Amino acid sequence: MFSSIYIEEEVLESERVKALLDKYPDVPQVVCERYGEVFNRKSQNFRLQKVAPALILSKKYGNKVLSTPSGYGYNDSNSYYFSHMLNCVYDCRYCFLQGMYSSANYVLFVNYEDFEKAIVEKIEDNQGGGVYYSGYDCDSLALEPVSNFCQYFLPVFRRYPDAELEIRTKSTQIRCLLDTELVPNCVIAMSFTTNEAAEKWEHKVPSIEKRLDALCKLQRAGWKVAIRFEPLILGVEGLAPYEALFAQVFSKLNIEMIHSVSTGLFRMPVDFHKRIVKLYPDEELYARTTESKDGMLALKNPQESSSLSAIEKLLLSYVSAEQYYRCA
Amino acid sequence: MSVNIIVAHGLEAKTLARALNLRANQSSSEFQEYTNANNLRLLVSGIGKEAVTAAVNYLGEQQDSDSGEKRAWLNIGIAGHRDAPLGSAWLGNKITEQSSGASAYPPQLIDGIQLGAVVTVDEPENLYPLDAVYEMEASAFYTAASKYSTAELVQVFKIISDNLENPISEIDFKKVPDLILGQTAQIVSLLEKLSALVEQHNLAQRMPSEYHEICENFRLTVNQKLQIRRLCQRYKALSEEEALHDLLDSRMDDAGKLILRLSEYIDRKGEA
Repeated sequence: MFSSIYIEEEVLESERVKALLDKYPDVPQVVCERYGEVFNRKSQNFRLQKVAPALILSKKYGNKVLSTPSGYGYNDSNSYYFSHMLNCVYDCRYCFLQGMYSSANYVLFVNYEDFEKAIVEKIEDNQGGGVYYSGYDCDSLALEPVSNFCQYFLPVFRRYPDAELEIRTKSTQIRCLLDTELVPNCVIAMSFTTNEAAEKWEHKVPSIEKRLDALCKLQRAGWKVAIRFEPLILGVEGLAPYEALFAQVFSKLNIEMIHSVSTGLFRMPVDFHKRIVKLYPDEELYARTTESKDGMLALKNPQESSSLSAIEKLLLSYVSAEQYYRCA
Repeated sequence: MSVNIIVAHGLEAKTLARALNLRANQSSSEFQEYTNANNLRLLVSGIGKEAVTAAVNYLGEQQDSDSGEKRAWLNIGIAGHRDAPLGSAWLGNKITEQSSGASAYPPQLIDGIQLGAVVTVDEPENLYPLDAVYEMEASAFYTAASKYSTAELVQVFKIISDNLENPISEIDFKKVPDLILGQTAQIVSLLEKLSALVEQHNLAQRMPSEYHEICENFRLTVNQKLQIRRLCQRYKALSEEEALHDLLDSRMDDAGKLILRLSEYIDRKGEA
């Protein structure tokens, strides 16, 4: 599963780390001083490291709960994100993480108690409310058997029913959710792209069908589920792939019970794009014509506005306007 | 096989040359060098950090190009460990320079080979205080070679020649070739796996032939060369190589105009 496990000296004696290492007695273990010695070094290559990523067990210092960028999220509440992990087990070619880090290794911050403290402080600053996103720098569910993220953090949010936790994922690892008491203020947000995009760019990701099956099981068990059609990568194919995708998704789920549905166009910081181009000069997606504004880069598409309107119109034939939002 | 091997001793080099079918390259003046038709190169650096840095820089600068393609670098050598059996071998996953205490961690993408820590010392180590391989080049090798390649392609492979029961002062150098030859299968496997990673990396970076044609036929500034490089990559990625070829057919001697023409076409094609 991991090519190696690197362990920061400071967390060597942590019970969480000991339990985790016990699960992988055959994986080579290396002690390091700080995770930065191993992760994101200048001469590393994300694309090569994806061949056999390592796990790095570390302690997170500094800010653990950060404000989300403006336009992120589905309501006007103060919203925040936290990352107990950096990097993702999947290999989606459109993902900004490829340009964010030079290393594909997974960093797992094991000081959950410190995260809990920071989250609780933030919730209390917001009179018990706020929206908290997990899965910005990683997929929160995909490594659940290793991280026990849900096992630890769901009870935290159960104590604060007015604070909302959104777990963004493409994973079908839902056993941890089905086996636990429902947390009504937790939303499982599954990301989808069209079948064509998934086949082309989403490597190692469970099929759309399997992701939908997982969502159906969660819905039946009473969990709030949300759909994230992100990133939208508009092409010459027109509306047909979206017609197929929406029909597939909404024929399976109880639409009225869906917490929210969003779309978001393919965007990334210019610097990330530059780094990804160096890694994947042969990738069609990154050879497309782009345009940048305020440090963010988008695919150039003269029909973008009309295509997006058509997709939204189609989407709103399935879900209500109250359920839908466009991610900036 | 785009791999450079650096060894400290002539004895190690001769043994590896025999095992890997390498021939002495007489044209190399500064360092004793071996090579084969398969693009494998082996250089004898001499002992110690300065010597290995000089050897890596010598070879790295010779091979340096702006193609984006890389070579793997492998340091093979004998080393000591307190209790590892003579002839056993480790791939270094943590390299510590004893004098500074600084550690580096070569990313491990190659499976099936025993991994372990390596400590680089300035003087031979007799006591082997840590559970690590002791030797005299790895830290400097890793630092120097990482400038010419990506860290995943820079590895250190150490074969145990001494331990507490067989101290370094009593090494029988006549037995060293056998210790190395005993690891031939592992070394060949390591070279093949490194070579496959290099190929995977370089395949993505490989430029269409039109790029080289343009570089030969036009006087390009550094910036223009970079622009042409990216344009050619885009033509390749968007399956427009035929168009690239056709656009070059027309008579043109101004690089600026060529860039404009290539850009206009591919920007139009690359719009979603």
